[in-house]
Amino acid sequence: MITTVTLNPSIDREYFVETHKAEEDCYVYDDEKLKVSPGGKGLMAAINLKKLGYPDVQNMGFVGGRQGLFFEKMVQEYRITTNYVYTENEIRNNIKIIGKDPVTYTQFNDYTYKVNEDNVEEFIRRFKRGISDSDLILMAGSIPEGIGFDIYARLIRECNKKDKDVFLQASGEALKQALTEEPKIVSTYFKHTHKILDKKVKTFDDYVEMGKEIINRGVDHVIIPFHCDRLLFTKDEVYSLSPLNFCLKNWLGAGDAYHAAFFDYYYQYGFEFVEANRRGAAAALSIAENNILFLKDEGQIEKNMDRIIVKQLEGY
Amino acid sequence: MSIVRDYMMRSLNSVTVDDTIEYTIRFMCKREMGVLPVVDKENKFLGTIYVKNIFKNILPERYGFMDSNKIFHEINNAAENLGEIKNRKVKEYMQTKIKTVKEKDNMNKATNVMLKNEESYLFVINDKGYLRGFISRADLLLYLLNVSEGEENIEKE
Repeated sequence: MITTVTLNPSIDREYFVETHKAEEDCYVYDDEKLKVSPGGKGLMAAINLKKLGYPDVQNMGFVGGRQGLFFEKMVQEYRITTNYVYTENEIRNNIKIIGKDPVTYTQFNDYTYKVNEDNVEEFIRRFKRGISDSDLILMAGSIPEGIGFDIYARLIRECNKKDKDVFLQASGEALKQALTEEPKIVSTYFKHTHKILDKKVKTFDDYVEMGKEIINRGVDHVIIPFHCDRLLFTKDEVYSLSPLNFCLKNWLGAGDAYHAAFFDYYYQYGFEFVEANRRGAAAALSIAENNILFLKDEGQIEKNMDRIIVKQLEGY
Repeated sequence: MSIVRDYMMRSLNSVTVDDTIEYTIRFMCKREMGVLPVVDKENKFLGTIYVKNIFKNILPERYGFMDSNKIFHEINNAAENLGEIKNRKVKEYMQTKIKTVKEKDNMNKATNVMLKNEESYLFVINDKGYLRGFISRADLLLYLLNVSEGEENIEKE
């Protein structure tokens, strides 16, 4: 089984309208113009893993209120195993309004979801037993209000006790504290702050320095996005990974496809860090160059493999 | 022929033998389920706890379970009884010796078990005994509906 953790999931509602103007009523009659889907980083990776044919993929996290039941049902539609702590507060809703003429994009990001201390302790208990038969664990995404920044560190500690490999995608203080438990693979996420470990990253050298800093803190492998490329770090080497002739249409879901394909390679062929990243990048390309949210099958990855160029960087 | 995996709900919502009755009741309410699987610390299936297992222990014996309107006169009594047992552990009230099916069992087997069994949920485990989900009576009816419409073939196991 592969376990993914989504601490701050959401119900995403996308409205596609002809024209979006403030102070004017909009009417949606066509159900194709309204998409409702479960969201959250770990979960999106879980859905991609199911699309790639994995039978046992679990998503763990918090969900809230009556809408939490609705959320769980939506996740179940993808045949993902759910394991959620139910909270009193309602799960958050993200609203996106996409206008056609003129092209507009309005997004309401809901960060109102809160959990309490009892919920967190319940989750830790559930997590300990929930990962018993998992081979790999992916933790990704933001954390809701009410959870301490040590949450990922606590979860990784439990994984280490059971000798489970962890792939963590996190940012800010939660990432910093998680590094004390030395997860196997770390991917940084920093679009809101442009900081890694409290340090502003701007130049290529800044990125390399932070990658090495994370390695020095005990992580085996680090992935850092650098514009459209990725920088890959092992204990002794630094690589750059670039897509050839890249044409961006859509960012949403690309990172999640990357993680899923990375795990797919890891699961099938063992841990070959660079090759797993190539596969991840090929999957991300399929999403980023098309207006889709999830992978359809492995073929979408294969067709992009030749466009992913990996170079070892000398002198770093 | 469909297998259990085609119809099961993949849910690992569960309690352990050491969880309390109060916790279990609150969990059941949030999940809107009258039964929860009971697992060990490794998530291996051990049995079930139904609302009826709790009711049996808080309703006055002479009325039995849900067979008398007089129960409304005994609400205080039941509430008091529940107050006394709410901190007790699930292991005291759970049912063991529960039939299970495996993910790869065919749906005939699940149907046989559920039709002969009074349990409204049939829990699903994998080859190593880890909880994997459940088949509800509604899932079973959906399967039978598909059989009736010729979308499923019933084969001998």
